Amino acid sequence: MGKVFDWHLIFDFIPTLLEYLMITLQVLFYATVIGLVLGLILAVIRLFRVPVLSQLVVVFLSFIRGTPMLIQLFLVFYGLPALLLVFGVDISRMAPAYFVIVTYALRDGAIFSEIFRSAIKGVDYGQTEAAMSVGMSPMQSFFRIVLPQSASIAFPNVANSVISSLKDTSLAFTIGLMDMMGRGEALIAATAHALEVYIAMSIIYYAVVLILEQAAKVFEKRANRHKAPVVVLD
Amino acid sequence: MQLDYPFIWEAFKEILTALPLTLMLTFVPLIVGFLIGLGVALARIYRVKGVYHVANGYVSFVRGTPIVMHIMLIYFGLPLLLDSLAKRYDWSFNINGVPITIFVLIALSLSAGAYLSEIIRSGIVAVPSGQIEAGYSVGMTKFQVMTRIILPQALAQSIPNLTNVTVGFLQASSIAFLVSVKEITGTAQIVASSNLKFLEAFIAAGLLYWGVTIVIELIASRIDRRATAYNQGGIG
Repeated sequence: MGKVFDWHLIFDFIPTLLEYLMITLQVLFYATVIGLVLGLILAVIRLFRVPVLSQLVVVFLSFIRGTPMLIQLFLVFYGLPALLLVFGVDISRMAPAYFVIVTYALRDGAIFSEIFRSAIKGVDYGQTEAAMSVGMSPMQSFFRIVLPQSASIAFPNVANSVISSLKDTSLAFTIGLMDMMGRGEALIAATAHALEVYIAMSIIYYAVVLILEQAAKVFEKRANRHKAPVVVLD
Repeated sequence: MQLDYPFIWEAFKEILTALPLTLMLTFVPLIVGFLIGLGVALARIYRVKGVYHVANGYVSFVRGTPIVMHIMLIYFGLPLLLDSLAKRYDWSFNINGVPITIFVLIALSLSAGAYLSEIIRSGIVAVPSGQIEAGYSVGMTKFQVMTRIILPQALAQSIPNLTNVTVGFLQASSIAFLVSVKEITGTAQIVASSNLKFLEAFIAAGLLYWGVTIVIELIASRIDRRATAYNQGGIG
């Protein structure tokens, strides 16, 4: 602050910030992949009502829903090293990116598990019956028949939640991640042109979100092309 | 694990004093945002000339950028804008006297407006057109149909979505700590760094947010049951 607003700077800042967008996207990618696996495990635990574990999952989901991203980041950042120290593992010098990935993976896992659960429930039960009637085991019918069909139901929600995770990564700089936002904060400290930096970052975030939304739309159309509406000739 | 359990309780008591500010940062934006959202939703549904494109752009931009950006843009941008206007029109007005909380409230309200407009819009669109036709057929005006037929049903159906947004903005209010507002997260940060007990302080803050979220959800499910009682079918 205190300096005159100079909109030319916005265009100077964009290339610098774009270099760090990669880190944001990498964190997002790893967190999403781990989150998908975790989400599937949690969903299966709840669907098959595994005793004890199922109740623990409910508490975990409620906690993730009930606390802000920032608090979760801090809890993982300060809590994970303390927890692992009990087992004699010292990770206090680990790069912030790992803590960020752990936090987002846990959060994504919780969100994805709810999406998967409703998607799996959305598959017609007749499909399971049909699978059983041709002699498939419950395992086979789940993994070969129900799960693949539920994926296309879940996809739009998963895409939305990945996009909102992208926006959430803007908070990861608070535990020291040098992503786009972290670089932006450093730029502000160096140039004192806060508004220009934030405008530049908003433009980038907005562009990435629009691109991801379009990509999701195209992908969804392709994935569902076998479900093309039946043309009734009259 | 080396946890100072009594300190969690100490921290909790201290952080609890910040709860009113957090609740204000949650509900004021939701109420202001609701009014903005209603206006925007109606402008988009009725395709009001001129306003329509602005409304679309506003919703798309706000939903496409992180909330922390909205807070920062308003926090750094609004004073600059008002200062230059004050200079041009000779207002006697000092932006430095405005508390930071006001900027956060403006930013969160604008943000809530965009999210709420989508919810209100989908709620309105979901009201069966037979209801609207029935309203017209008994001689109601457009305004009467909107306020007596469409909105009550649209809002009743939107309660689960509105609850999600309420919880979301409770949590979004934690971002205000980045511009040093002393709400729950900000206070937790202060308690943590002045006692050098970070984990304990954030556990306390987490428990507080969690508790408030559960209370909000309980209240919302009560309201939901009452508001949608007309639509439950069967015997009632």
